[in-house]
Amino acid sequence: MGTFVQLVVDGLSTGSIYAAIALAIVLVNQATGLINFAQGGMAVLAVYVAWVLTNEGVPLILAILASIVFSIVFGAVVERFLMRRFERGDPDTAVVVTIGLLTLITGVAGWLWSYNNQQFPSLFPLDTVQFLGVSVSIRSIGNTVVIIVVMGLLQALFVGTKLGLALRAVAINPESAAFSGLPVGRLLMVGWGLAAALGAVAGALVAPQLTLTPGMLDNALVYALAAVILGGLTSPVGVVVAAWIIGILENLAAVYVPFIGFDLKVAVPFILLFVVLVVRPQGLFGRKSVVRV
Amino acid sequence: MNKQFRSRTARGIAVASALALTLTACGRGDEGGGGGSRGGSASPGITDDSVTLGITTPLSGATAGPGTCTVAGVKAYFGAKNAEGGVEFGDGKTRTVEIEALDDAYDPQQAKANYDQLKDDVFAMTAGLGTPTNRAWREAAIADEVPQVLVMTGDPLFSDPEESPWQLGFVPIYQNEGEAMGELLASSTGEHKVAILSQNDDFGEGYVEGFKSAIEGSDNIEIVNELTYEATDTSVDAQITELASSGADVFFNAMSVTPLMISALQKAQQVNWTPSWFLPSNTSSPGAILEPGGAAAYPGIYSVAFSKTPAAPAFADNEDVQTYLAALKEHGDYPDPPAFPHCQWSWMVGATLEQAFAEMTEPTRENFMEALRSIEGFEAPLMLPDTSVSTGEDGQPAVSTVVVQKYNGKGYDTVETFE
Amino acid sequence: MASASSVSSAPASSAPSAPPFRQRPWVRWALPLLLLVVLVVAPLVLSEGVNETLARIGVFAVAVLGLNVVMGYTGQVSLGQIFFLGVGAYVTAYGVQNDWNIVGVFALACLIPAVAGLLVALAAARLGGLAIAMVTIALPIVGVPLAKRLSEFTGGSQGLSARFAETPEWTGLYDDQWQLYVVLVIGGLVFVLTRALVRGKYGRAFAIVRGNENVASSMGISPYRYKVLAFTIASLIGGVSGFLYMLVIQYTSPETMSFGHSIELLAAMVIGGAGSIVGSLLGGAYYVLIPELTNQVDPNLTSLLQGAILLVVLFLLPGGLASLPRALTRGRRRTRVGRGPAATPSTPSSTTGSATAEPAPTERQGHA
Repeated sequence: MGTFVQLVVDGLSTGSIYAAIALAIVLVNQATGLINFAQGGMAVLAVYVAWVLTNEGVPLILAILASIVFSIVFGAVVERFLMRRFERGDPDTAVVVTIGLLTLITGVAGWLWSYNNQQFPSLFPLDTVQFLGVSVSIRSIGNTVVIIVVMGLLQALFVGTKLGLALRAVAINPESAAFSGLPVGRLLMVGWGLAAALGAVAGALVAPQLTLTPGMLDNALVYALAAVILGGLTSPVGVVVAAWIIGILENLAAVYVPFIGFDLKVAVPFILLFVVLVVRPQGLFGRKSVVRV
Repeated sequence: MNKQFRSRTARGIAVASALALTLTACGRGDEGGGGGSRGGSASPGITDDSVTLGITTPLSGATAGPGTCTVAGVKAYFGAKNAEGGVEFGDGKTRTVEIEALDDAYDPQQAKANYDQLKDDVFAMTAGLGTPTNRAWREAAIADEVPQVLVMTGDPLFSDPEESPWQLGFVPIYQNEGEAMGELLASSTGEHKVAILSQNDDFGEGYVEGFKSAIEGSDNIEIVNELTYEATDTSVDAQITELASSGADVFFNAMSVTPLMISALQKAQQVNWTPSWFLPSNTSSPGAILEPGGAAAYPGIYSVAFSKTPAAPAFADNEDVQTYLAALKEHGDYPDPPAFPHCQWSWMVGATLEQAFAEMTEPTRENFMEALRSIEGFEAPLMLPDTSVSTGEDGQPAVSTVVVQKYNGKGYDTVETFE
Repeated sequence: MASASSVSSAPASSAPSAPPFRQRPWVRWALPLLLLVVLVVAPLVLSEGVNETLARIGVFAVAVLGLNVVMGYTGQVSLGQIFFLGVGAYVTAYGVQNDWNIVGVFALACLIPAVAGLLVALAAARLGGLAIAMVTIALPIVGVPLAKRLSEFTGGSQGLSARFAETPEWTGLYDDQWQLYVVLVIGGLVFVLTRALVRGKYGRAFAIVRGNENVASSMGISPYRYKVLAFTIASLIGGVSGFLYMLVIQYTSPETMSFGHSIELLAAMVIGGAGSIVGSLLGGAYYVLIPELTNQVDPNLTSLLQGAILLVVLFLLPGGLASLPRALTRGRRRTRVGRGPAATPSTPSSTTGSATAEPAPTERQGHA
C-alpha cells in the first residue's frame, strides 16, 4: 500500500514536468492555432540564459525573472520575423518551421554551452517531508504549486480577460479578427511572448531534475503533446489534469500490469489518448471545435 | 488540366535529367581502386608524411556529450604529437596524424553514410561511440577491409576476431564490468539482498549478465528485484520506489544516462532507501554525478574504472593528468574539465594507436591490424595501476581489466573487498 | 470548392496559346526516354560514393513519397511514417537471415507494414486533425521499446545485419552499382505507380478529402474509407522503403525508427514540396544530403546548420523546393508585368482569401 501511494505521488511529480511544457504548448495553440515543436527548445534557451546569469553571481530568482523577460522578447521576435510569414499558410509548413527552429536552437545551445549536462540550481530545496508513509520532496511540491498557479492564471486569462478573448479570436479566425479591429499582428506577438515566458518558468522548474542540456525537454515533449491532446486543446485545467493522469497511470501500469512493464509504459498515455478520443474527440475537458465547411 | 500536369512533370523530368547528366560527367575515376589495394603499396589515407584517421560519432543529439569527448581526446593526443613533429612509425617514417570526424547523431543510417564517405580517404576508422552506430557499418568495413578499431562500445561482437577480423573494441565489454562488481560482492561474507535496475538495451543486459555470472553460486547473495528503464525516460522515480520496497541493501544500477543517475541517487534518499550502489564506469563521475546526487548519504558507492579521473584530488598534481588537460584544451577544442570519462578513454585510444603505429613496418591496413593486435601489457597514459592495454586476447577488447573502486567523498579509491 | 481549387491551382496564365516546347508530343516521349537512358547509364559512370549517396536518396525518397500520399495528398498528419520503414526493414532483415526467398521477403516487407498500417488506420482514421497526429506519434514512440521486447525477431538493441542481393556474377557490376540499379527499379516503380494513383480517380478523392471532409461526404466520397486507403498505401510504401533501407544500409536497430527520424521525414516532405511527386524526390535528397553537407562544413555545428538551412529554405520557398520553378516564373512574370498586387497570379488558396495575405505561399501542386 505504501508503495502504491508513493507511486501515485511519484507520478504526480513526473506529470507536473509534462504539465509545465504542455501549458506553454496550449497557450501558443490558443493564441495561434499552431502546435509549436520548438516550445521546449525555447524554454531550454531561457534556462541557459538564467544559468549563465547565476554563474555570473546573479541570485537565482532574479536570473529566472530575467530569463522570463528574455523569453517574452524572444517569443515576440520569433513570431514577428519568422512565424509571421507562415501563419496564414499551410499549417504543416508552419509546424515544420517550428521543427527547424527547435533544431536551430538546440544547435545554438550546443555550440555556445556544449552538450554536457549542466547543474541548474533549484528554487526549492530537495528536503523531503513524510506523511502517510509517503515521502515527497519540497521541490516536487513547489513545482506542483507553481504549475497550479500558472494554470489558474492561464484559465483566468482565457476565460476572464479581454486579452485572452482577443488572443483566441485571432487564433480561430485571423481575418474576421482583423475586420473587427483587433491588432492581429501584435496579439500574435503577445501570444508567442507569453507562451515563451511560460516555457521559461517550466524550464526553470524542471531543469534541476533533468539537468540542463540542449535536448533537455525533447523526451518530455511527446508526453506534453499527449497531455495537450488528451486534456483538450482549449483547457489549461484539462491539460494539467491530463498530464497528472498520464504520470500516475504510467507508473501504476508499469508496476502492476506485468505485460506492460517499464519498457512499454510509454504506450500507456497513447492507449489512454486513443480510448478517450474515440469517446470524446475534443479531449477530456476541451470544447467541441466548430467544423469548418 | 491535363496540360498543366504534363507541363509540370515534363519540367520535373527535364530538371532531373539535367541533374543526372551533370552527375554523369563526373565519371568513375578510380576504376578498381575502391576495394583496398593489396600487396606492398600503401593503403588509402596514408602518405610518407601523414596518416588520416576517421571517426563517426554523435556530435549532436542526446549522446553528443560523451560523443564530443570521443573526438576531443584522440584529437588532443595527436594534436600534441603533431606539434612535436609527428608520430614515429615502424617503417622509420615520421607522420603527422590527421583526424576527420563526422557527426552521426547516433543514427545508424548516418553512421553508415559517414563511413561510406570516409572509407576511401582515411587509413582507419576509430574511437566512434555507440553500439548500433558501430554495428551499422561493421560488415561493410569487413568487406572493404577497413580497420574499425578501438571503438567505444562494450559490445562483445567487436572483440571477436573470428566474426570481426577488422574490428577491435576499446573499452571493456559490459559483461566484464558487471562481472568485476559481482566478484567483489561475492567475496563478501555477509548476507546481501540485491536490487537491479538496468537500461533496456545491450548495455544494461551486458552488465547484468556479467554481474549475475559472478555471483552465481554465492548463497549469501540474493537478487530480490530486477527492473529496467528506457534511455529516453524522463524519470526513474517509480522504479526506485518499487526497488526500495524490496528492502535490498545492495543496488546494482546499470544506467548510462547522466541526469537519470543523478535523480536516482536523489530519489532513493528521499524514500529512505540507502543501499550500497554499484555504478557503471561511464556514469560514476564524482563531480558531475555523485556530488549533485548527494552520494555521500550512502554507505558505499562502488564503480569500476581503468582510467584516472582528472577531477579527483588524488590526481590533481599527476603529470599524466596535467599533460592531458592541457592538450585537451589546446588541441582537443575542449576547454572545460571533461564531465565524461570518454575524453580520457579517447586519449588512451590515441596512445594505443601510436603504439600500433610504432610497430607498423608497411603502410598498409593489413600490417596495421597485425601491429595493433600485438600490443601486450601497454600502460597507456592515464591508466590506473593494475590495468593495461592488451590486444592479443581472443574475445576481449583492448582494455579488458578493470579495478573496482569506492567513492571517498571526492574521488575514488581502489578496493579489494566489499565492506 | 476544394476540388475546383486544386484543379486550377496552377497559374492560369502559364498556359499560353501555342504549345511550348516541352508540351509537343515528341518531347513528351523523348524526355522520359532520355531520363531512362540517363538512369541506366549513370550508375555505370558515377563514382562509388555518388552511387551510394544516390541509393540512399532513393530509399528516403520512397519513404517521403509514402508520407506524401497520406499527408501531402490526403491531408492527414502522420508522424509515424518511420515506423513502417522500420517494420519493413525488420521483416527484410529477418527474412534474409532465415534464408527466405528474396522475392517472398520483398512481398512480406510490403505486406506486413501495409497490414499494420491498415489496422492502425481503421482505428485512427475515425479521429481527425491533431488526434490522428498523436495516434501516429505513438507508432515510433512505442515501436522502439516494442522492437527491443521482441528481441527474438529483432535482435534487440543490437539490431540485425543483413547483406543480401549480392551482385550477380554475370552483371560484372560493382556492389554499389547493382544496389543503385535495384533501388532505381523498385523505387522507380513505386514512383510511377504512385503518380498514376494520385492522378487518377483515387487521387481526386484524396484531394477532396483533404480539402474538406464534409464536402467529400456530400459528394458520396467516404472520408473514412479514403483516409484508411491513403494510410494503408503510405504504410505499404514505407515498407518498400524499409526493404530498400536494408538493401543499402544493411543494418537496422530500434534506433532506425526513433521518433526524431519521423519528424525529420516530415520536415523533408514539406521541404521537398507537399503533395508533389518531384517534391518527394527532392525531400529524399534533402534528407540525405543536408547532413552530409553540414558535416562537411563543421561536424560540431550540424544541428545549428541544419536548423538554419531548413528555416532559410522554407522562408524563401514556403511551398518547398518543388515550388522553385513556379516561384521563379512568377518572379519573372511579376517583374515583366510590373509591380502591384494585380501581378500576383491569383493562387486560390481556399482558406485564406484575405487581400492582405502575401502571395499564398502554400498552394499545393494540384494532383501532381
